[in-house]
Amino acid sequence: MAAGVLTRVKQALRGPRLAAAVFSCHGQTLSSAAAAVHSPAAPTIETDATDKILNFPLTQPDYFRLSELFSIKDLFDARVHLGHKKGCRHALMEPYLFGCRLDMDIIDLEQTVDHLQQALNFTAHVAFRGGVVLFVSRRRQFAHLVETTARDCGEYAHTRYWKGGLLTNAPVQYSPGVRLPDLIVFLSTLNNVFQEHVGIRDAAKMNIPTVGIVDSNCNPSLITYPVPGNDDTPAAMEMYCRLFKMTIKRAKDKRRQMELLKGI
Amino acid sequence: MASLCKVMLNVSSRSSLLPKQCVFATVRSLYSSDASGGDDKPPERPKSGFAAAYNLHSDLQHIGERRMMSPKEEKSFQALLRQSALLQMGPAKDKIAIGKIFHIVNDDLYVDFGGKFHCVCKRPAVDGEKYQRGIRVRLRLEDLELTSRFLGATTDTTLLEAEGTLLGLLEGKTKE
Repeated sequence: MAAGVLTRVKQALRGPRLAAAVFSCHGQTLSSAAAAVHSPAAPTIETDATDKILNFPLTQPDYFRLSELFSIKDLFDARVHLGHKKGCRHALMEPYLFGCRLDMDIIDLEQTVDHLQQALNFTAHVAFRGGVVLFVSRRRQFAHLVETTARDCGEYAHTRYWKGGLLTNAPVQYSPGVRLPDLIVFLSTLNNVFQEHVGIRDAAKMNIPTVGIVDSNCNPSLITYPVPGNDDTPAAMEMYCRLFKMTIKRAKDKRRQMELLKGI
Repeated sequence: MASLCKVMLNVSSRSSLLPKQCVFATVRSLYSSDASGGDDKPPERPKSGFAAAYNLHSDLQHIGERRMMSPKEEKSFQALLRQSALLQMGPAKDKIAIGKIFHIVNDDLYVDFGGKFHCVCKRPAVDGEKYQRGIRVRLRLEDLELTSRFLGATTDTTLLEAEGTLLGLLEGKTKE
């Protein structure tokens, strides 16, 4: 399981150059896309075709057409708008709430749609550029679902106990030169005792961007792309898993297609 | 004109017969009819204050609406929420709902009735073996989420479960 979390030998062939390119585009929004990309650490020759493959998608607001994957109605039917009771509410989640009905918080789906669009778009770009995505969730009810999702899209998952230095002490715990994930997707940001998952803080320490589904009792602070939504109902979790899987598959297929065209 | 305004405002403050909007609408129409016959519009000058803020915020609104370009008619979230069964139901206490059993552990039945959480009920003594996975049942809801604030805690502790009493199998499905 520990070996399955991080590098596999054939995945290491993706190369440090691509990892550097991904790190160089961390934290940049799509509107400043034109400024992205000549990664300063890469000494190799970049042909025009490779430049086009890497640069052109960043100039489009929705290059992978992810807005057609979901709509407000789909989110509503999957019960994404249902939050916890008022007493469980986290103060920092108040801007994302539509209101409170009979003590039950309702999450504003108009905002969720925008956040989810941004999060999926970022995931797609990371996968397009050959980044490693790690799915994390400590909900035991959905552990199997998350693991099968990760396996189906060729990425990684960690749904067990998170050891202390997994990211921060990786060269010692695994081996020197181990490759860390380029994106961590938290399908539930709490651990089993309703505290914030340690991985959020550790990813922020290691400059790894995070996407996180934050419910009304979660802290959205350190997460790069928070997506306010329900993380307790099986219908909602299945929907998120399906969306992330489709996004990553689309991005990888697009990359393969463009490489084939470049080869021609 | 100003004296007329003052009279109307005094009237509205003293008596609550005329609704305020009505008063102001009449005042505004009086002003507009007066101004149209009067001096011509000043030339276009750069907007400031409220007008500038309004333009800025309408741009932000267009950015938010950029995904709504699909031709098919979409209901807004507010409309969907207002017409949803959960809101039409009101308080969950003593409401009858239909749920489906999605998991069974020995004698515990996990029933999903469409809320955020499922509810866990004991297998009843009568017709016990009829309750299998996928069967629809009737239940009376007590609470949509079991939470409670304990002494010394900052937030509520939640059980991640709803509470309900099993009434029986869905009528029309029981075979005699």
